[in-house]
Amino acid sequence: MALIARIRAAFRNLFRRSEVEARLDAEVRSYADLLTDEKIAAGLAPAEARRRALAESGGLEQIRQSVRDRRAGATLDNLTQDLRYALRQLRRSPSLTSLAILTLAIGIGANTAIFSFVNAVLLRPLPYPDPDRLVSVWSGLGYSGRAPFSSFELFEVRRRTTQFDQLAGIWVTNGALPGDGPAEQIKVADVTSNFLQLLCIRPALGRFFGPGDDLPNAPNTIILTHGVWARRFGSDPSIIGRSVRYGRYRATVIGVLPASFRLIFPDDSSIPATVEVFESVPVVPGADPQGPAFLRVIGRLRNGAIAATAQAEMNRAAVEINQLGGRASMGNFTLSVLPFQADTVRDIRPTLLCLAGGVAFVLLIGCANIANLLMARARQRLRETTIRAALGASRARLARQFLTESVLLGILGGLCALALGYAAIHAILAARPPSFSNFTHVPLDAPVLAFTFLVALATSVLFSLAPMLSVRRVDLTRDLKESTRQAGFRRGRWTSALVSAEVALAFVLLLATGLLMRTFVNILHADPGFRPANVFTFRVSTPGYAPIHLIQQKLASLPGVESASAISHLPLDNAGNWYDYYWKEGASLAEQTSVMADHRSTLPGYFAAIGATLLEGRDFTDSDDAQHQHVAIIDDVLARQLWPGQDPLGQKINLSDSPKGFYQFQRDWAVVIGVVHHVQYHSLTAIVRPQIYVPYPLAPRPSMSFVVHTASGAASLAAPVRAIVDSVNRDMPITHVEPMQLLVDRAHAESRFASLLATLLSTIALVLACIGIYGVLSYSVAQRTAEIGIRMAIGAPRTQVLRMILADGFAWVLPGLLAGFVLSLLIAPLLTGLLFGVAPGNPLNYALIFVLVLAVSALAAFIPARRAASIDPLIALRYE
Amino acid sequence: MDPNRTALLQGTLDLLILKAIGSAEFHGLGISRRIEQITHGAFHVKPGSLFPALHRMEEAGWLSSAWGESENNRRARFYRLTKAGHRQLGEETAQWNRVALAIASALKAT
Repeated sequence: MALIARIRAAFRNLFRRSEVEARLDAEVRSYADLLTDEKIAAGLAPAEARRRALAESGGLEQIRQSVRDRRAGATLDNLTQDLRYALRQLRRSPSLTSLAILTLAIGIGANTAIFSFVNAVLLRPLPYPDPDRLVSVWSGLGYSGRAPFSSFELFEVRRRTTQFDQLAGIWVTNGALPGDGPAEQIKVADVTSNFLQLLCIRPALGRFFGPGDDLPNAPNTIILTHGVWARRFGSDPSIIGRSVRYGRYRATVIGVLPASFRLIFPDDSSIPATVEVFESVPVVPGADPQGPAFLRVIGRLRNGAIAATAQAEMNRAAVEINQLGGRASMGNFTLSVLPFQADTVRDIRPTLLCLAGGVAFVLLIGCANIANLLMARARQRLRETTIRAALGASRARLARQFLTESVLLGILGGLCALALGYAAIHAILAARPPSFSNFTHVPLDAPVLAFTFLVALATSVLFSLAPMLSVRRVDLTRDLKESTRQAGFRRGRWTSALVSAEVALAFVLLLATGLLMRTFVNILHADPGFRPANVFTFRVSTPGYAPIHLIQQKLASLPGVESASAISHLPLDNAGNWYDYYWKEGASLAEQTSVMADHRSTLPGYFAAIGATLLEGRDFTDSDDAQHQHVAIIDDVLARQLWPGQDPLGQKINLSDSPKGFYQFQRDWAVVIGVVHHVQYHSLTAIVRPQIYVPYPLAPRPSMSFVVHTASGAASLAAPVRAIVDSVNRDMPITHVEPMQLLVDRAHAESRFASLLATLLSTIALVLACIGIYGVLSYSVAQRTAEIGIRMAIGAPRTQVLRMILADGFAWVLPGLLAGFVLSLLIAPLLTGLLFGVAPGNPLNYALIFVLVLAVSALAAFIPARRAASIDPLIALRYE
Repeated sequence: MDPNRTALLQGTLDLLILKAIGSAEFHGLGISRRIEQITHGAFHVKPGSLFPALHRMEEAGWLSSAWGESENNRRARFYRLTKAGHRQLGEETAQWNRVALAIASALKAT
């Protein structure tokens, strides 16, 4: 009952305020009158009685206020009052308000955007069933700890482990788009029959692969992604069980994946998210122990299994597999089990964490600025604050008022930040740095909204601390006596500490930016081992040697074409890679599994067309085929690994080729006829593996990329190329008609993205820090006008005044630089993984950033200092 | 205000007001004087505490108030206990006696 009564009272208090107030007023007056009457009756004169009554009661307004503070709904009432007052304050100084909101919008918006990625990429579980039980399994041999499996090895590992529900493999290659219509090359995944079940609960239509698809005479079956099903088959539900054209064969569609299905694999697994069709690859007993390693393996731990137990079991399996006489027989075969989620984000994680740190710095600097602004304003408002205190506002109420204003600012800033953050997310997604390419879905969902709200709230509490502390020191008598302008001007330790902190944070950000920019420049200048200028490329799916040889000849005769050739894998392309072990004649078993190289199938003239350097020996010719002596060309890296200090020309090398047809691999000996300079196939910054080149007739591939070197300024060859391919074979799909430079640019994208974003962030940080120095110094000059006037009136030269103010500014900047230096010693080493060709402690970078911060701070301090030096003492003193 | 005195008043002010009004009708100053009288001057309730308490207790439904004439013909707001107020007085009295008894026995313990 009491609760209902209080609620009713609260409504009356809130909505019939004038009535409630009138009653309170009358009651308090009547109290004072009665008290006066009492004193008159006791014999005092009426005026004296009145005075004593008021003094004794402690002030009528104070009584009224204490009733207001205590009555039902008072908190809400106070809040609306505070809010209204705060809004009025914010409106009264629009420039300060908009500066604060803009700073917050940028600071919080940047944090919102980066957190959205952290949330989507690092925090949200992968969109798979039981994501925490998924693991990736890597084999290790020789120097690579993250190598794929052969069918034989996967079969043997499955037999020897008990901690896994499933162990499944996948390999991605190029293939033809199924169905009738124009030929198109797409990414196709060969998966073990239990693979899709691991990543998807059930297909949208039909079924997954099953053990039946592993049988030797099983029909060709494929499973489509939702995307292919929609664009090629018009989302026809009767597709299941239908036989469709699939490259040169036919295949039966047995399933369609749900639209939400996504393939998310580590960058270095060569499993792109763009796979559109799945076909099954059997893992059955009797596979060749020497067979090629190509399967990326993932597994699901048994319910309740512990990763460490699974790893121990894998270690035992590796030892046993070592003894089976396969490619793993050298004795250093290892197997490692890693949590799948952590494994998929290992490349993007450091970038994201660095960015998160960077945006946090920007927000902190912005926060310091706003705190300074609010503190300066709190000082200007000190007289008003004091009067409010004198009129009965409690200190808590005054502090709450400041907090309300700050939180209001924070919330307004946070709202703008959401809009800005949303735009930033889309800008980042549009820039599409490669390591982000697996993550296309970055929503502003509940966790992100909650994060933004909390950051806005925490920030506003943070920057309201300073003005709130100034209220604590309100001293009624002293502050009311002092003149408004001078009131409360004490050069706060807080202010200088805030400016120093800004300088320190900006210094660290700029330092990181310097390193990332140097990295980008180094990458731009890195020698890729080929010359992309005037080279354009396209891919074809080919049934064999004759048509591509014909295309090569026709291309070479086109006007403007200087040379044309083809290769199985273009440099810096993400096509399914092929690599294997190579050894020289007479190599021991251990040596046979210690050198791995990328396997490249080429036509003659490839090195000339792409601009690679043939260091010695000769290029392939049309007569280098299966009938003649088998030959190979290696790069200088492989030459140094196999024949250090010797001439590799004429040496024999063991490789796996497939002269009998696609993928029918066999070990074979070939003679080295040439050595080329290493080409950066995987990244511009690291030599991942050496390369070995084999003539196409020895290693036929169903998909080849043409490389056409044109004279500079030649017209687009897209149309003539299509005409040539069509004239050779109308059914050959041709895709990826693009200049080689595009692939190089794509390889630059990651570093360009990182350095661009860092530059943006540190520019904002530097500007904010400058605003901080400038604002605080200007304020100090304005406050000290009279003092400076007096100094000049008694003979201080202008240069001395200039020096004095500059020295004031540098008294904050120098400690800030020192703190930034110390902070950077801790932080810079964290960047190592993102850098190329520059060390975190690069002294030139330190020197440059030091000078830059000093120069910009000097500029920010100089403007107010000059204003101080140009003060006219007469005017300054008269003004006072 | 003396903080010790505030602390003392915090829990007892409601009880004192309810008891002071009892079955009669008083205006604010009257309640203040009545409390002084029944506590033999131990408590002097200032208007800054009295009025917030009166309004709060009325909002809780323990008191009702109406305008009336004071003994010297001034318009004043008079408070009386509602049925809930009488019940509250009973409860708070019992509660107070329990506390007082407990504290007293605690102080007597050796």
